Amino acid sequence: MTRHLDKSHFEPKLSRRGFIKGCTIAAAALGLSDEMVPRLVEAAASAQKPPVLWLHFQECTGCTEALLRASHPDVGRLILDMISLDYHETVMAPSGNQAEKSFKDTLEKYSGKFICVVEGAVPTKDGGIYCKIGGRTALEIIREAAPKAAAVIAIGTCASYGGVQAASPNPTGAKGAGDVLGMPVVNIPGCPPNPIAFLGTLLHFLTFKRLPELDQIGRPLFAYGRKNHDQCERRAHFDEGRFVEQFGDSNHMKGYCLYKVGCKGPETFANCPAVRFNDVDVWPVSAGHGCVGCTEPNFWDTHSPFYERLPGVKIPGTGGIVHDVDSAGKKILGIAAAAAGIHAAVGIGKRIVKGRGKSDEDV
Amino acid sequence: MTYQSRYAWSVLFRLFHWAFALSIVTLVVTGLYVNSPWTNTVLEGSRSFPMATMRYLHFLAGFIFASAVAVRLYLWLFGNRQEKFWDSAPITPRNIRNLFSTMAYYTYLTDRHETRLGHNALAGTVYLATIVLTLIQLVSGFYMLYPESVFWQKWGVALFETQQQARFIHHLLMWYFIIFAFFHLYIVIWNDIKSPEGLISSIFCGRKFHRSSS
Ligand code: HEM
Ligand code: HEM
Ligand code: SF4
Repeated sequence: MTRHLDKSHFEPKLSRRGFIKGCTIAAAALGLSDEMVPRLVEAAASAQKPPVLWLHFQECTGCTEALLRASHPDVGRLILDMISLDYHETVMAPSGNQAEKSFKDTLEKYSGKFICVVEGAVPTKDGGIYCKIGGRTALEIIREAAPKAAAVIAIGTCASYGGVQAASPNPTGAKGAGDVLGMPVVNIPGCPPNPIAFLGTLLHFLTFKRLPELDQIGRPLFAYGRKNHDQCERRAHFDEGRFVEQFGDSNHMKGYCLYKVGCKGPETFANCPAVRFNDVDVWPVSAGHGCVGCTEPNFWDTHSPFYERLPGVKIPGTGGIVHDVDSAGKKILGIAAAAAGIHAAVGIGKRIVKGRGKSDEDV
Repeated sequence: MTYQSRYAWSVLFRLFHWAFALSIVTLVVTGLYVNSPWTNTVLEGSRSFPMATMRYLHFLAGFIFASAVAVRLYLWLFGNRQEKFWDSAPITPRNIRNLFSTMAYYTYLTDRHETRLGHNALAGTVYLATIVLTLIQLVSGFYMLYPESVFWQKWGVALFETQQQARFIHHLLMWYFIIFAFFHLYIVIWNDIKSPEGLISSIFCGRKFHRSSS
């Protein structure tokens, strides 16, 4: 059996065709007309590659993985081709002292010119001792590097808003880069984020010498300007009231809307349905699983249970017994009705005991 | 003891009340549907649009609700004496005294109570809290309705951070309104039985029977 292998996956050099394809994908994501493609190409091909410091903190390297291998190989290589990746713990050749030297050199030589990319959350509790690299805490490293950068890009939900590390009870006091630094940061959240969002931001910066327009929580509008729900291919089923009641039921097989099994598309800003992941053009909903809303702050705490619409409410004073909102509401309404019943009974009882008594007229 | 029929509630106030009450009933029913749609269209290619219709009704009622609140805020400032903010909010010595005496009256500790043409101060306090919660309900609602608008995003992010939190609080507040409506109806009926003021009909015709001191 012969298997056709796409040789481009192994070609170390990016072909011109792949290069232009990558720029065109980015232009489309940015909403630029195709007339702008040559300008993006020019900026991406410029001999002066901007140096990039890529800092890894509390993370799983999934963002880097998603960027470098999973999807369109052209996109990953285009990014590597366009920048000079001076420091990136996963892919750089030097290690140990040499690695730290290239970190220092970049800071000194390109102060004010390099791009600082942050991957992973920064623990802040107990002086930040829960994440150390070369004997220094993540907190020290980011505070040294970020203020000298031309731009700081947080890649992934952890670097943007803390992610799973910051989920309750957040034992290490993990925070996103923007919170730690107290300065504006471009957030490219997602778990992992779509490589196109990162590529688009980078190309925008290189071409126009400024960052793309951001929303209220630092996300580029070109990628995070709309809700998934408003671009979803199952939206017609939502409007028409055709829902999956249970995973694996006949409605699920027919591809109906996943709203009733907890899809968080209606609460999530991202462009997954439009840009999709990997070369096979999927995103969770197209594969039959609801969106969990991984591009939103605190999604581990507020979007879970992932298979229900809303989180439960803790009943105070019960040691954390959790009720779903509506059963809690119904119970309170029941208590209210009982209280009103008792109140009315007392009134009637009093009237029976005292007779008609002093009513309003006699006061 | 003589009672006089006196004009308490302006037409605008009564319009506010019924727009508010009826829109809330609609919002609760359609909101519960949006949370967990209890129908499931089985026939593909039919055109019943239950979710789209329910959401449309929810938003329509939402705008009526918002207009009613705007009218109430206007009446706080420019309404007649009973409708003004100062007349029932627990901020003047007269109202604070009335707040406690009303509590005593409602818990059967005394039969004495000040008759007022407007709301008693306990009612005033609850209505004030209701209007404040109404504003939060409006912001969360409009933030969900216009997710791409910068104006609502600023408010939404400041108050709730994410759409999901806005939705959660929107849903919790629905339960406040349900429980408010329940107690409201109970206490209005209770008052109507206890004192011959014609309280319930006053919200239809605007006139109350007021005990004159003469
Ligand atoms: C058939 C049902 C209802 C009747 C007979 C009724 C009657 C009344 C009456 C008599 C008042 C004036 C009470 C006073 O002086 O303190 C009043 C005020 C009020 N009612 Fe209702 N009501 C009804 C339903 C509702 C519902 C469903 C709501 C909303 C959930 C509502 C919200 C209010 C509010 C907010 C006020 C205070 C108005 C203000 O801001 O001054 N009512 N209602
Ligand atoms: C007392 C007033 C209101 C009540 C009780 C109410 C109730 C609800 C409920 C229960 C939901 C479902 C949320 C969930 O659990 O998933 C909802 C959704 C929503 N409501 Fe309201 N609501 C009220 C006022 C408003 C107003 C004033 C607006 C603004 C126009 C509004 C806009 C929305 C929107 C946009 C949604 C989300 C619908 C969707 O994404 O499909 N609501 N509401
Ligand atoms: S599957 Fe999710 S995102 Fe798609 S229409 Fe249904 S609720 Fe919205």
